[in-house]
Amino acid sequence: MCIRRAKEIVYPKVAALSHRLSRKKLSGLLAIVALAGLGWLALDWTGAVPVEQPLGLSQQFVQTEKPQVCVHTLLENEVEATKIMRSLEMTRELGAATIVQFFPWAYVEWQEGKYDWARTDSIVRLARLQGLRIIARLGLVPDWARPPGTTLTNLPDAAFADFAEYAAAFAARYATDIQRIIIWNEPNLSAEWGFQPVEAARYVRLLAVSYARIKQANPAAVVLAGALAPTLEKPGSGVGLNELDYLSALYQLGAQEHFDALAVHTYGFRAAPESPPHPDHLNFRRVELLRLVMINNGDSHKPITITETGWNDHARWLHAVRPSQRAAYTIRAFQYAEANWDWLQAMCIWALRHPADLRGYPDGYTLLNAEFLPKPVYFELQAYARGWAASDSLWLRPPGEN
Amino acid sequence: MRQRILIVFAQAALAVALFVATVLHGNIPDRERAFPTGAIRIGVDASYPPFAVDDDGALRGLDIDLAAAIAREIGLPAQFRNIGFYSLYDALISGEVDALVSSLPIDAARTDVVRYTSAYFNNGLVLVSAADSSGLDVENLAGKRIAVEYASSADSLLRRWSADSTELQRMPYELPEYALDALRLGHVDAALIDNLTYRLYQRQHSQWTSAVQFITHDPYAIAVRRGNHDAWQLVEAALEQLRAGGELARLIALWA
Repeated sequence: MCIRRAKEIVYPKVAALSHRLSRKKLSGLLAIVALAGLGWLALDWTGAVPVEQPLGLSQQFVQTEKPQVCVHTLLENEVEATKIMRSLEMTRELGAATIVQFFPWAYVEWQEGKYDWARTDSIVRLARLQGLRIIARLGLVPDWARPPGTTLTNLPDAAFADFAEYAAAFAARYATDIQRIIIWNEPNLSAEWGFQPVEAARYVRLLAVSYARIKQANPAAVVLAGALAPTLEKPGSGVGLNELDYLSALYQLGAQEHFDALAVHTYGFRAAPESPPHPDHLNFRRVELLRLVMINNGDSHKPITITETGWNDHARWLHAVRPSQRAAYTIRAFQYAEANWDWLQAMCIWALRHPADLRGYPDGYTLLNAEFLPKPVYFELQAYARGWAASDSLWLRPPGEN
Repeated sequence: MRQRILIVFAQAALAVALFVATVLHGNIPDRERAFPTGAIRIGVDASYPPFAVDDDGALRGLDIDLAAAIAREIGLPAQFRNIGFYSLYDALISGEVDALVSSLPIDAARTDVVRYTSAYFNNGLVLVSAADSSGLDVENLAGKRIAVEYASSADSLLRRWSADSTELQRMPYELPEYALDALRLGHVDAALIDNLTYRLYQRQHSQWTSAVQFITHDPYAIAVRRGNHDAWQLVEAALEQLRAGGELARLIALWA
């Protein structure tokens, strides 16, 4: 009954339309429809997922007085394009000129030999529209390139060349947008090295093959090594190796020729930003010890980018500080770096926001909660970067002090 | 009478049949298959009191005691491995550990590779009010002053409530304990806070009486690899034993 009714409505309209159109025009119309259908089928066959693109975007520019302010975004697992856009907008509004963003190999070449750039293109385009520079971090191994039952951080030697091909393809595709590329993440931790013993020699080989291919693809690219984790682990530990020994080992193994700059992770934990560095302590100025290793190996001309840093203000984590301390320490850290570290290119706060709250202490590292609610440190950093007066207090005084 | 005997006989036969079928199909959990190293290797991030902390090399906390009790129930030693939060799931998936007992919120996005036990702690948000404020609940907060920790998940929820009820007064504090101080000292009508913070605060202020109502649920559970059915069955059964026997409640009361 319904179908018949539908036919009664539709058929006369189609007949009327075909009357109005000449045969030539009708053929053209049919060809367009057929081509659209084929396009849709091709898209479906290649597995490419069209990413939702928000409308009404226009080119924006970062207004900042502190171009070294940078944040690490976590957009690779964000599902909604509108949230990617909001994250980047709030980065620009913060006054951060640069982001570090992870572009997992496993997400792009999940089928061997086929690159699916849809999501990556979307992130790069949206960042460009906000006037943001990107430092790209590459890592995570697709299923096909690693043994079954291993984690995404397990990169066998046999897959080094495949990873380098991805890095080269990435460098070529985004040559106009992305110049700085970090090879891997925290290779001095077993968990980031496929739960295998950390091995500087293997990382040097990965770095060498990646560096060569990236430079062939985009000679202007800047390859960053390291992104080493701050840790006190001694040689022989199953967890990893402290980054000072690891970096020294990289130099001894000839890594010097295979990177242009060093990426460093340094966290404050509970120490003030001015606390002096010591090999047995984890604190913000520990990066100075890595700098010494570079100088001792004749690499003082290479710059450093701190691609992860910050303090945590979770209410119960052992290594956290209070929200007001976190805000104050963060600003003082930027001020200290500006006054003392002429070799530093940018300092990136870990992290802007998780797509969903993790409901644990890692949430205490973000500048925004999952619902884009800014933490106190966001407002303080914004005032610092943009040269604004510090904001009014965000909270009431402790009840006992009233 | 004969009918009753027949029913009892039928029930017994069904039980025997189910048992035999279970045995034949291998559904009785096999301890050696579940934990082939002869120990239960537990992954835990020992930086999160009162669940787990590293006290000069000795791990202590609710998660540690709970994991040890589960291992005792199963009849194997527990071996703890202190792992950073971000690597916990990778350690489980790669077989470095057999189970994660680390105050893990149940994460639906992980369930393709891990299987969670039933929850052993609910760290959802609670609405706390003075004990004599009878009838104060989420339905009648208009005009009330509600304390929260600034920029917490409770703050996000309260801002949504505020959008619905303009009369609701949001009272943000830097620390969650300050929000409860404000309630205890009579500066606000209620506090919206996570259950653990409330419990720890109540322990420190045992003379203070309050009324509490769960608003959201945030269950913590133990995770095992999805394919390791034997491990899941054994851990879940042990947890159930501890729950039924009152040991789980005792451990929670001891630590939280």
